[in-house]
Amino acid sequence: MLDDRYGHCARTLLACGIAVACIGLPALLHAQPTENPFPSTYRPAAPTDTLFLNATVLDGAGNRHERASLLIRGGLIAALGEDIEAPEGVRIIDAEGRWITPGIVDPHSHLGSGSMPYTPVELSAWDVNEIGDPAAPHLYVETTIRTQDPGFAAALAGGVTTIQVLPGSVNLFGGYSVILKNVPARTPQAMKFPGAPPGMKMACGENPKYNYSKLGRAPRTRMGIVAGYQEVLDDAREYLDKLERSRRGENDKPPHDPKLAAVAAALDGEVRVHIHCYRADDMAIVLDVASHYGLPITAFHHASEAYKIPDLLVERDVCSVVFANWWGFKMEVFDAIRENAAMLEKYGACVTLHSDSAITGQRLNLEAAKAMAAGQHAGLDIPRRVAIQWITLNPARILGLDDRIGSLAPGKNADVVLWSGDPFSVYTRADLVFIDGALVYDRSDPADQLVSDFILGQPAQKSRP
Amino acid sequence: MKSVSAVALLLLTVPWACAPAPDGAGTETGQSGSTVTAIINADTHTMTAAGRIGNATILLKGATVAAVGTDLEVPDGARIIDARGNTVTPGLIASATHLGLVEVSSSLDTDDRSASSDMLGASFDIRYGLNFNSVLIPLARADGVTHAVIVPGASAQTPFAGTGALISTGSGDDLLVQSDIAMFAGIDGPSSSQSGQSRSSQWTALRLALRQAGRQDRGASVSGLELVDVLRRADLDALRPVAEGSMPLVLRTQRESDIRQAVALARDFGIRVILYQADEAWRAAELLAEHKIPVILDPMANLPRRFDNIGARLDAAAILHRAGVPLALHAWEFQMSHNAGQELRQAAGIGIANGLPWQAALEALTAGAARIWGIEEHIGSLEARKSANLVIWSGDPFEMTTRPLTVIVDGQEVPLETRQTLLRDRYMPMITGSDRPERENSR
Repeated sequence: MLDDRYGHCARTLLACGIAVACIGLPALLHAQPTENPFPSTYRPAAPTDTLFLNATVLDGAGNRHERASLLIRGGLIAALGEDIEAPEGVRIIDAEGRWITPGIVDPHSHLGSGSMPYTPVELSAWDVNEIGDPAAPHLYVETTIRTQDPGFAAALAGGVTTIQVLPGSVNLFGGYSVILKNVPARTPQAMKFPGAPPGMKMACGENPKYNYSKLGRAPRTRMGIVAGYQEVLDDAREYLDKLERSRRGENDKPPHDPKLAAVAAALDGEVRVHIHCYRADDMAIVLDVASHYGLPITAFHHASEAYKIPDLLVERDVCSVVFANWWGFKMEVFDAIRENAAMLEKYGACVTLHSDSAITGQRLNLEAAKAMAAGQHAGLDIPRRVAIQWITLNPARILGLDDRIGSLAPGKNADVVLWSGDPFSVYTRADLVFIDGALVYDRSDPADQLVSDFILGQPAQKSRP
Repeated sequence: MKSVSAVALLLLTVPWACAPAPDGAGTETGQSGSTVTAIINADTHTMTAAGRIGNATILLKGATVAAVGTDLEVPDGARIIDARGNTVTPGLIASATHLGLVEVSSSLDTDDRSASSDMLGASFDIRYGLNFNSVLIPLARADGVTHAVIVPGASAQTPFAGTGALISTGSGDDLLVQSDIAMFAGIDGPSSSQSGQSRSSQWTALRLALRQAGRQDRGASVSGLELVDVLRRADLDALRPVAEGSMPLVLRTQRESDIRQAVALARDFGIRVILYQADEAWRAAELLAEHKIPVILDPMANLPRRFDNIGARLDAAAILHRAGVPLALHAWEFQMSHNAGQELRQAAGIGIANGLPWQAALEALTAGAARIWGIEEHIGSLEARKSANLVIWSGDPFEMTTRPLTVIVDGQEVPLETRQTLLRDRYMPMITGSDRPERENSR
């Protein structure tokens, strides 16, 4: 039953949940998203084949294994269980008293997009939002990524192995997201997760309307926001139709339009839509817009009132990407509650946590602890083996990567964290972090603390003799 | 509605309602003095020389701790709270928040944090803006915070922010426990929207003002002056207790050079300085210990967000503690009010994970913080004659899986209900089935 639910969550073909909306949207259209002009050059580092023994393992697939063994080999998960034979030449780690989880997946970050230190002039022209045109679906957030942002290494020390960086939440259509392997690299391309499905940021609510109001232009209201969606989606549908007719030889191919191509690809399900919305009413309105146009929505991000509409979210197969406890920093997040994730989980809705912050992004395991504990205190029995999925398999699913990461199933990429203890404890830290079977972080190795280029040679960072 | 005269303004400092006076001469007031509460089977961290007392009984009489020990007799008729072996600590002290001053951060009509757009500087006093009906207060106490130091934001008169206050999170109609707990100022690079001028200018302004405040005649006539003169004079008046050494000056400053300037300021003027958000203070740990300058620190601050805190690192709290610097903790700024308790506990836990001893972390949230703020005669520890503030925890107070089971503020058990738990309870029936929407029939 769990698998079935998540199967839906992963597909998020909202359009076909509403039969009427599918009419007139032939499934064979396949608008090509503009081919990504910044292809991945990521190459895994040499794998460290390792056999862990006697670990407590939360496998991300919903199971907890006591005194288990995990073998990673050739960059992949080779085996998880008891009594695994150590192949020749494999490093053996006795993980007695320690815990293992899949690498943490952060589905909502702005790391690298405006790198620390944040200077005043940088803040005045923040790379996160290209604010001018509310419809900017064709922007590529990887063009902003500074791989030397010290936040990446800090997140890695917190066990985060995969990060989706999204454009900001001012534009209605904010641009393409990028999914990164959290490895040291010189270029954004060298961090890009090879073959990851493209994603797109959209936004609703206060951020678009207040920011565009300040500029003295639409959208100034929620009405204007919805009209803004409709305008672009109408044009994208027409663009799709023209493409299809040209394929049948009925007219010339329409001139390439990068904005419409991006939205058309989202309509076609080729680009996953991640939309920033807090309020239940905002989400319900967006769902109807999406149904009308046959736009699949993968996830509502922040979704602080998702607990008020779990039925709608399940029915439309949309995941909620939520905070553990953030609230009150603006009006639309005034009703956020700590039980949000646990209530969605209990209802059977898809839910993940996210960071949206370089501080929180270092300890998503503790965000899971807060959200799990809030549920438990309210009588919702959510064990660690389930709560860990909020930061592993579930975010992997909304990124379309659950066939490769997010759990410790044999054959998946060996993205693995060895924790010093229970990852839901504030005292626990990541001892070792592996990405694609390569050891990328070792807490005990002073040479492995990933000092960013900016920090290098800064006297303020050094210990006084 | 109270009408407050100018004279009353100067005198209005709410006394410790029921605790003994600082000189120990006072006794508890009668109002609820006869009510005895006994907390039994309490694994008690007294934060006194008595240390940790397993299986203790804590007797509260009215708003005051009457006794803590293992062989205490529970008087007849006492209300008994069985802690069932759980951990009991003094109520936590949040050493920097804006509780009571802000409701929705982006909604200016609910934001009384700072005098950033008027003519007040050092004379800005947050006590008048405190809102005891704020829904942030019940959440803070439900997370174990019984007292908090309320910090003013930066004013338009750089580098001054104004005076802060100590509040309690009890459910009465007043939050204020002690006004004028400290004067606040901030020195940083001209990067922030509030400063906009060289840090040399900021230090110079601070030094000139302190010098003038020290010379100022008490009660000098202000007749015939323009309003602006009155206000500038009020700013100097507000600084006088700092110049005279009776009120600490809290400097929010991060860069090591500024930390060392702060030490020089304390030395040159003979004033009491407390450092706040001092990310690079660990670099001057020995100097700070030598001058007994306390630090209010966020143990989670480890990123070079600005040039002012390139040296931020996770073991800063541990380094300062090892050097003997008096330490209190604050939660990261974004969460210091809206999740005042939970994020403060997490911050302490992160400090421990990075080398701060567990006991030192608890100290920094209780007795150590109380000493820094000069209120250790009243709160921060569990012993006879102290104000009765304590928390019974479901586990280790710093774990995110732990929650307070019972919170007592000024002798009163406070409700742990919050607006958020009410929202939760309103929608929970839909989740658990008793009022579940007809999902099964919808397809």
